[in-house]
Amino acid sequence: MDFYYGLAQIIGVHTLLGLSAYMVLLTGQVSLAQAGFAAVGAYVAAMLTVLAGMHLFPALLIAGIAAATIACAVGFPALRVRGLMLVIATLAFGEAVRLFFFNFDYQIAKGEVRVGPLGGEGFRQIRYFPENGWTTFEVMLLIWAIVAMVMAALWWMDRSRTGAVLRAVGEDELAAQSVGINLTAVKVSAMAAGGFIAGLSGGIYAHYTTHIEHANFGVVLATFAIAYPILGGLSSVFGTVIAVVFIQGVLIEGLRFMGDWRNLLFGALIVLAMNLRPHGLLDPRSLAMLRRLVGRA
Amino acid sequence: MIDLAQSIVDGVLFGTTYAVIGIGFTLIFGVMHKINMSFAAASIAGAYSGLLVFLLWKTAPPIVVFATSAALAGLIGYAIYLLCFRFIPIASPLATLMSTVGMLLLVDEIIVHLTAGMPLSYPAIYDGYPIELGQLILRVDLLLVFLVCLVAMAVLLYLLYRTRLGIATRAVAQQPVAAQLCGIRLTQVNAITFVMTGTLGGIAGAMIGASVGVLSPLLSLPLTVKGLIVTVIGGLGSIPGAIVAGLLVGAFENVFQMWRGVTERDMYVMLLLFAFLVFRPGGLFRIAGARD
Repeated sequence: MDFYYGLAQIIGVHTLLGLSAYMVLLTGQVSLAQAGFAAVGAYVAAMLTVLAGMHLFPALLIAGIAAATIACAVGFPALRVRGLMLVIATLAFGEAVRLFFFNFDYQIAKGEVRVGPLGGEGFRQIRYFPENGWTTFEVMLLIWAIVAMVMAALWWMDRSRTGAVLRAVGEDELAAQSVGINLTAVKVSAMAAGGFIAGLSGGIYAHYTTHIEHANFGVVLATFAIAYPILGGLSSVFGTVIAVVFIQGVLIEGLRFMGDWRNLLFGALIVLAMNLRPHGLLDPRSLAMLRRLVGRA
Repeated sequence: MIDLAQSIVDGVLFGTTYAVIGIGFTLIFGVMHKINMSFAAASIAGAYSGLLVFLLWKTAPPIVVFATSAALAGLIGYAIYLLCFRFIPIASPLATLMSTVGMLLLVDEIIVHLTAGMPLSYPAIYDGYPIELGQLILRVDLLLVFLVCLVAMAVLLYLLYRTRLGIATRAVAQQPVAAQLCGIRLTQVNAITFVMTGTLGGIAGAMIGASVGVLSPLLSLPLTVKGLIVTVIGGLGSIPGAIVAGLLVGAFENVFQMWRGVTERDMYVMLLLFAFLVFRPGGLFRIAGARD
């Protein structure tokens, strides 16, 4: 049973990461920096609980805020460029963060062992959950409670004026600007909110794996982060969840029996999905159909 | 001082391969206003496919391997066009971005699968003594790589600016609708662009293999990042920009590799990119009135 709880934990953390990219994608920007923000969140949260002995919840909150601050700082210069230039700028930023943690040493002695991040070896012994007697099931519940809160917040935001503003910027910047929307403010706030969510996901990730290293937060994770909302479609937050379950649950775990071939199939299925459903698995048309079905029932 | 000069020279010579990869990104962007994330991976795959020659002809000279790499990389380029661009609506840039990322993973995995993840040795372009120029040592193989890349770029520029095909390509880049009204077939021109850039990428991949000595699937991600950085620093869509930026990035990273070591080197390259984004977001060779 623990295996399925573990799987649910992975899906939860990846959902958060996907939602952070979803937030930024709503404004029409593709950010490959989400893995970098997650790395910031992971290291900050882990250092707070392990080195400073803080409780998990304030640590997670601070990690999210730290990641959001950095996202804000990245947002300003990076948003001077648009579209594909932004993809590249954020990709480079994500790599820069990863390389920073690759070279980052800060260890203190705690009892008999030295703990803290140590360059290429990573950050071991993030033992908050085992030390405080959390079971896998409880950790999973915590993760999904956070996921549910973030999803509810995003879903509510989508139906409010803020959501309309974000989508307006995403659809047509010129039109949005001409009705008096401050593009920079909207984009930087979206970036900061996305950074906060990514920081949360990183912080949780660090605590349930107990060991993080720079290689966890590379280009592949960044690609996953934007793949979820794009594959799932941007019409609703549920698209992202469907995509995460599809990729992490079906493609990665479900196809385990295929061994090496699984990785081959993974890239091929993304290519295929994009050819068949360029607007995502849950595109506006199928969403409208679902709404009608639910409405009638 | 001599160390500094030496590392700049080495860096500039190796930078040509970055420049060629950057040109590939820039050209596809210029023509289709889309980015092909799988380009660098396809280049490496092209270089790998050149090794197939050895299956048929055990003692093939390096030049045959390089030529095969280039030719097969052109084919791979066409395949990528068909799979990732041809059937995806032009109005959804996110979909092609994602499909080429999927392609990047797929190409990498195919390589890993076929070679069992082991690096393969690649024929060197030259294995004699280096040239000594005063105190400077010039690696002849890098020099030859530099020359080959220059020739490849010159051929590409000739094709683009002196032939009817080039006129068609540039017309599509500037105004697809108007080009179509003049009787240019969009899909054909786009396909030819992919074959052309694929071939160029194959040459770059072969040259990278020749100068590093081994090919490994681990090369493709860093090369993608470097190629994209070169494209941005040079100005998206600008071919001379990509050339200059490639050499610049090559020299820059080699100098920092000398000063700060290989683990920190790439961090400074990213900082260079950010400096450009803040102070000169259009890149070195900004195209006037360039569209997004």
